[in-house]
Amino acid sequence: MRCVRVWFKKMGMSRYVSHLDLMRAMTRSVRRAGLPLWYTEGFNPHPYLTFALPLSLGMESLYESMDIRIEGDSTNNEIFDLLKGAMPPGIEIVSVDDPVDDPKTIAFGEFDLLFDCDNTEKLISSIEQMLSGEELIVQKMGKQGRKKVLKDINLLEFLHSYEISHSSNRVKLTVVFPAGSTTNINPTLLSDVIAERSQEDIGCFVVRKRLMKADMENFR
Amino acid sequence: MISKDVQKILPLVQKPGRYTGGELNSVVKDKSKVKLRYAFCFPDSYEIGMSHLGIKILYSAANERDDVWCERVFAPWHDMEKEMRQRKIPLYALESGDPLTDFDLIGFTLQYELCYTNVLNLLDLAGMPVRSSDRDERYPLVVGGGPCACNPEPMADFFDMFMLGEGEEMSNELFDLIIGCKEKGVSKKELLKLASQIEGVYVPSLYDVVYNDDCTIKSVTPNEDCVPEKVTKRIISDLDTVHYPEKFIVPFVEVVHDRVIHEILRGCIRGCRFCQAGFLYRPIREKSPGVIDEQCYRLCKNTGYDEISLSSLSTSDYTQLEDLMGKLLTWTEKEKVNIALPSLRVDNFSEKLMEHLKKVRRSGLTFAPEAGTQRLRDAINKNVTEEEMLSTARQAFSGGWTSVKLYFMLGLPTETYDDVAGIADLAQKVVNEFYRNPDKPKGKGVQVSISVASFVPKPFTPFQWEAQDTVDELISKQNHLLSSVTTKKVSVSYHKVNISFLEGVFARGDRRLCDVVEYAWKHGCKFDSWDDSFLFDVWLEAFEKCGVDPLFYTSRKRAYTEILPWDHLDYGIRKEFLICENKKAYENETTPHCRIKCAGCGSNMLNGGECDAMRQSMV
Repeated sequence: MRCVRVWFKKMGMSRYVSHLDLMRAMTRSVRRAGLPLWYTEGFNPHPYLTFALPLSLGMESLYESMDIRIEGDSTNNEIFDLLKGAMPPGIEIVSVDDPVDDPKTIAFGEFDLLFDCDNTEKLISSIEQMLSGEELIVQKMGKQGRKKVLKDINLLEFLHSYEISHSSNRVKLTVVFPAGSTTNINPTLLSDVIAERSQEDIGCFVVRKRLMKADMENFR
Repeated sequence: MISKDVQKILPLVQKPGRYTGGELNSVVKDKSKVKLRYAFCFPDSYEIGMSHLGIKILYSAANERDDVWCERVFAPWHDMEKEMRQRKIPLYALESGDPLTDFDLIGFTLQYELCYTNVLNLLDLAGMPVRSSDRDERYPLVVGGGPCACNPEPMADFFDMFMLGEGEEMSNELFDLIIGCKEKGVSKKELLKLASQIEGVYVPSLYDVVYNDDCTIKSVTPNEDCVPEKVTKRIISDLDTVHYPEKFIVPFVEVVHDRVIHEILRGCIRGCRFCQAGFLYRPIREKSPGVIDEQCYRLCKNTGYDEISLSSLSTSDYTQLEDLMGKLLTWTEKEKVNIALPSLRVDNFSEKLMEHLKKVRRSGLTFAPEAGTQRLRDAINKNVTEEEMLSTARQAFSGGWTSVKLYFMLGLPTETYDDVAGIADLAQKVVNEFYRNPDKPKGKGVQVSISVASFVPKPFTPFQWEAQDTVDELISKQNHLLSSVTTKKVSVSYHKVNISFLEGVFARGDRRLCDVVEYAWKHGCKFDSWDDSFLFDVWLEAFEKCGVDPLFYTSRKRAYTEILPWDHLDYGIRKEFLICENKKAYENETTPHCRIKCAGCGSNMLNGGECDAMRQSMV
């Protein structure tokens, strides 16, 4: 038995697949692929799948990873070939590698926030204004002991870096926020407050581009 | 592909994966290359609709044709509907994202009476008038099918057509007709007349209903020459050769039945007098083990599912069950696929079968005695004895099971309070059986769950003439049952009686109810089968405003001679047979199942005089 790390994109309509649903979809996909799977040995044998960092519902991602355990001596390339034809629409296998980093080492995520709007200049200046200030207070669901409570946080304290670009009717804001098991900031906290203050019906959607370790090297 | 407008509202609703389409094995075609676009609607939530086998079969069968594109539509949940209405987004089909008005044909499967308001709501969300007479050639045709089509009269004003019986072949004939009429530019009225010539297709607008002064029916007669006086349901003669999907759509969102389902037989030999399905789907026809095995294998390969459910009305009545299990187990064990056998009977649950079941993942055991005393079980022709039930429980307990679920009904004809208390007695005896078992697992208790439904008399059953228990009677019987249960090892759950009452009205209703359905829907009723959404007061107001007394349909015992609203529809069951069965119920007399002795129901005539049960009983 060995573990392989499968990298995939989650695009299009599959971004509306929740984390739990993705686990079930992937379990079926690896079964369809006919991989030499290793099964758990309990009363209820099932393939063993783990995901590095769950993706929020509604986000696309270019950088998802799933670890699976397999039997036998198939190569990573053979596993890649089996998997790529077995995925549901919207899920695309990028590569199959040996795992390098422990998912616990994930510290940052890079995201594109994409806004559709008619007046890009106005939106950009409003974003600039928000991000260059002292604080940007938003409410975040947090824990207080066992209870879940709303907490006020200053988003700018967590924003590691950002970059703005635009095309004719689309503004792209690229941000790096803490991600992982210790501190995790969902970038929709930022996109929601931008959308709210723009007073325009701007559709926004978010793409996770990559995950990084504390030293800003890619999680591999 | 769904529109930008829809994508904007998806982040605002729960489980958006229900509204996106794009699941594995969903069928996308080039709409410019098909001649007929068919929207198949299940008038309930995605999770319920995607669990339904019929939609999988008919979707796949229609899409096998190059000239037809069949897509799916489900009822958007309350939050989604609100967003759609606010932004004026019309109801769309999941595969193309196109609004329903772009389609040629809209089909609804009517699985239960309480989905009727959802049908109206879906038509309205699509921007269509709900009444058939208000829809001209610009609108798609609307057809209904499923078990409720056996008495579709309460929905007669909303549908252009109904398909009675099994749809695989009939749908194709209807597609051909519609494609032909579209090419020739035939009017809707003319098309409907032609459709009424297809065997099994019922066009309600071509029949006039005349009522007596007491609101009973005086006559139902065709109002055009070419229209048949009686419409006979269709059946598929050979299950081995009829289309069965090689692929199921695999939903992302978890649905109620999320597994491979295989239908191993149609019909039922038992003739339980309360059971509509047992009569509607006659005659019994079995599928060969080899065919089932191969189709199951392919379905598992194409879906990645790890569970197969062998479904039918009574799975242990499948004559070749052990052969089939043997075939399946040659590959399912290796592939880690679990086999579920729902609908087992207590009188033929063999030890060998249990051994098979133990090899795969263990689920709960459920049995349906239906009634608490032998007398009442005889009256409803359940044909199982207490000893059979207890010996099955004994077997299950010695096989290691520690929980058993028992299904019962309240409000059966001839039922007394002793029969009700008998339910608690029987459950207690099952509990005792557990403690009598010498090798019962140590440190484990037993749990017997009894689930009690309220009986609703249905068309085409021997009880179609009976009065249904009133809401008060049912509540008092439920209370009597609760007070008869004296141990914590037995838990009781039961249905809301108001919902059963409404089901009873529509099950045996007539066309006068169309106004009631429309009024209730206009005043907010939808998703009536969901406890949280059920607005009983609005329904009562609807009956009052439309001048219809609901008790006329539920609490009235009908004479055998009365013309029933569904008498012009023929499901192959002779009325004389049903009358005879009704009389026998009052004498607590049973009728042996079809393989022991043919009871002469008449349904073999649907299959050219052939019936699997008769063939097998002669061997």
